[in-house]
Amino acid sequence: MSKGRIARLLCGVAAVTAALGMAASAWAQEKKLKIGVVYDLTGPLAGGGSELQYTGAKIVLDKFVKTGVEGYKIEVIYADAQSKPDVAINEAVRLIEQEKVDMLLGFYSSAQCVPVAARVEQLKKFMWITTCISSAVLENRNLKYVFRAQPSGQQFGLMTMDFISQNAKSKLGKEAKDLRVAIVHEDGAYGVDVAKGNEAGAKKAGFNIVLKEGYAATAPDLSALVTKLKRARPDVVFHTGYNPDITLLLRQAREQGLKFQTLVGHGAGYGVYEKLKEGLGKDVNYFFNADPISIWLTNQGALDAKLPPEIKYIGDEFDKVKPGVAIRSAHVGMAASNTYLFLTDVLPRAIKKYGGIDAEALRKAALDTDIPEGGTMLGFGVKFEGEGKPMAGQNDRAFPVVIQYVDDKSYVVWPKSQAQREAVLPLPAGTTYSNK
Amino acid sequence: MDSFLELFDIYLVEAMINGILLGGVLALLALGLNLIFGVIDVTWICYAELVMIGMYGMYYLVQYYGLSYYLAAPLAIVLVAILGALLHFLVIEPLLSGPPINQLLATGGVLFVLQSFATVAFGIDFRNLGIRLPVLAFGEMHFSYSRLLAFAAAAIGMIVVYFFMKRTYIGTAIRAIAQDRQIMALMGVDTRRIYLITSALGGALAGLAACLLVLQYDVHPFVGLSFGPITFLICVLGGLGNFVGGFAAAFLFAQIISLGGLFSDLEWGYVLAFAFFILMMFIRPAGLLAKRQ
Repeated sequence: MSKGRIARLLCGVAAVTAALGMAASAWAQEKKLKIGVVYDLTGPLAGGGSELQYTGAKIVLDKFVKTGVEGYKIEVIYADAQSKPDVAINEAVRLIEQEKVDMLLGFYSSAQCVPVAARVEQLKKFMWITTCISSAVLENRNLKYVFRAQPSGQQFGLMTMDFISQNAKSKLGKEAKDLRVAIVHEDGAYGVDVAKGNEAGAKKAGFNIVLKEGYAATAPDLSALVTKLKRARPDVVFHTGYNPDITLLLRQAREQGLKFQTLVGHGAGYGVYEKLKEGLGKDVNYFFNADPISIWLTNQGALDAKLPPEIKYIGDEFDKVKPGVAIRSAHVGMAASNTYLFLTDVLPRAIKKYGGIDAEALRKAALDTDIPEGGTMLGFGVKFEGEGKPMAGQNDRAFPVVIQYVDDKSYVVWPKSQAQREAVLPLPAGTTYSNK
Repeated sequence: MDSFLELFDIYLVEAMINGILLGGVLALLALGLNLIFGVIDVTWICYAELVMIGMYGMYYLVQYYGLSYYLAAPLAIVLVAILGALLHFLVIEPLLSGPPINQLLATGGVLFVLQSFATVAFGIDFRNLGIRLPVLAFGEMHFSYSRLLAFAAAAIGMIVVYFFMKRTYIGTAIRAIAQDRQIMALMGVDTRRIYLITSALGGALAGLAACLLVLQYDVHPFVGLSFGPITFLICVLGGLGNFVGGFAAAFLFAQIISLGGLFSDLEWGYVLAFAFFILMMFIRPAGLLAKRQ
């Protein structure tokens, strides 16, 4: 073979190798996970907390879009559920069928989650819920592809009742059977579920339930409910609502002279301190709220060492998006933590152990998740209930905490293991709703 | 029996008075719509969204520009009056000779435009005027000054609009145009001008409602959803164009909501009120105070 032919052959081989290499590289670059993210960016739920959740999830997703996960690019398509369940379903289906996303992430409202989860399950796609808490989303539905790291609504209701029951005698000066409690809630899947937990907790504690009632979050007037509360004379009001129904109820309560010993809220609107303060002024002081702990209030010493820098990063990014916020809402951290959990635990395992990102691989990876307490930014551990269990897909290790707003700061007051200070209970004399 | 009698207590009186005050709010809302929908037979499905824009106007004038409430209120009323006139000029006038469904669809479109505009321009946050009015207390009963103000404004507004319609030339022309749109032009009346004035007046009444509602409710782009349907029902229940009927319907509706909510679940109050509306549509389709045909 002449030198010229050898040279041509070598050039040819080099060219083919380069071409194959480029093709392989292009194929490698094509490995990507498309995530459809659904929150409410317009409509009443947006200002009630959903937009903050979106912000938290986006901060984390943006970071992983830059780095990718285990060789997979992350592509995110955001959709606005407009605070309407029908729009949430349509957007979920559009993302799956037209945008061809591999999975869905997000969802703030339980009223949206309940129907969307069923639809996504039918389409055999993976759904990672960051927020909506109603038990109805998962309870007795045996969903295979829907997972929720959040505590359930009933856990919220049980936790706050437990908190009051442990303080009834010492702080409120009443035996459990003499303590009059009122449970009021918005009548969607979320409010009903929390109220169910409240009722079970009250019965367990032996409280006297003097009123339990739901209302439509869009009702233009709640004065009749306030009158009933006045007639029932509760010591403690347990309230679950979005906003602006919370401010409407409490403004009308002030105007109609409703008095009680204390009020306990349950997430959603009660988790957005800025809005509560704007609507109610100083009256919001000493109110309680149950939510997963704000990631900025967790005992960072007890967390996995890799998490505190991430928490700082999320806080810094949030401050850039919304500067000058007095209390960073727990909503931001909830979505951020649960999104981070998926991207750093479930997704890498699906790729490495189960060979891909299809719904089956993600499901198996999620079921393998076994994180002890302190392993997430929200402090709780993660272990999902498996198929055949009543709450298949629910994180068994999740728990909310009770916080109290005191002078523009929020403090964890329950459970005792997480408490940052003693709860101020009952409302101090001279405050607007105090019955002292 | 005792437990039944226990219901007749001071709280029942409070609920009844609160029902009357809620009636004032609803009557105030229905006033402007009755003029537009009832008298000149033009459908503004986006009426509650005009109220929403007025509420935002109040919020920005008071909170952002630091105007006093009393100075901001007339400005907000003028703002919504101009919006009302613009709505007529740009949307309704080209459709006046078409089928009424076109007005409904076009103003339905305006509804979404206004909601989206508010979302983009003002954001999704709930805004609060931050004015806390004192509370009127009689023993165990407490009443809100903001609702008393709304009640007074509705009562005065109803009387003023009633006499305006009955005693002034423009009022007579408005009523006449409602009877026959075509013939009025032949009689030398500038129908275009009358429509424009009526629309501005309807807008001004929406602005008045906005000034008083903003004392009681947070403003957000979707606040109209809470009031829009009820306002339409009240106009129809009272009899289209019948201001006294609209006033009575608002109080009846509010009383059913309030007492129904007190004696049963709050939601039942609304169910009963809407069931009452449906029933009345069979019994008195022309409105509560309409003369029997």
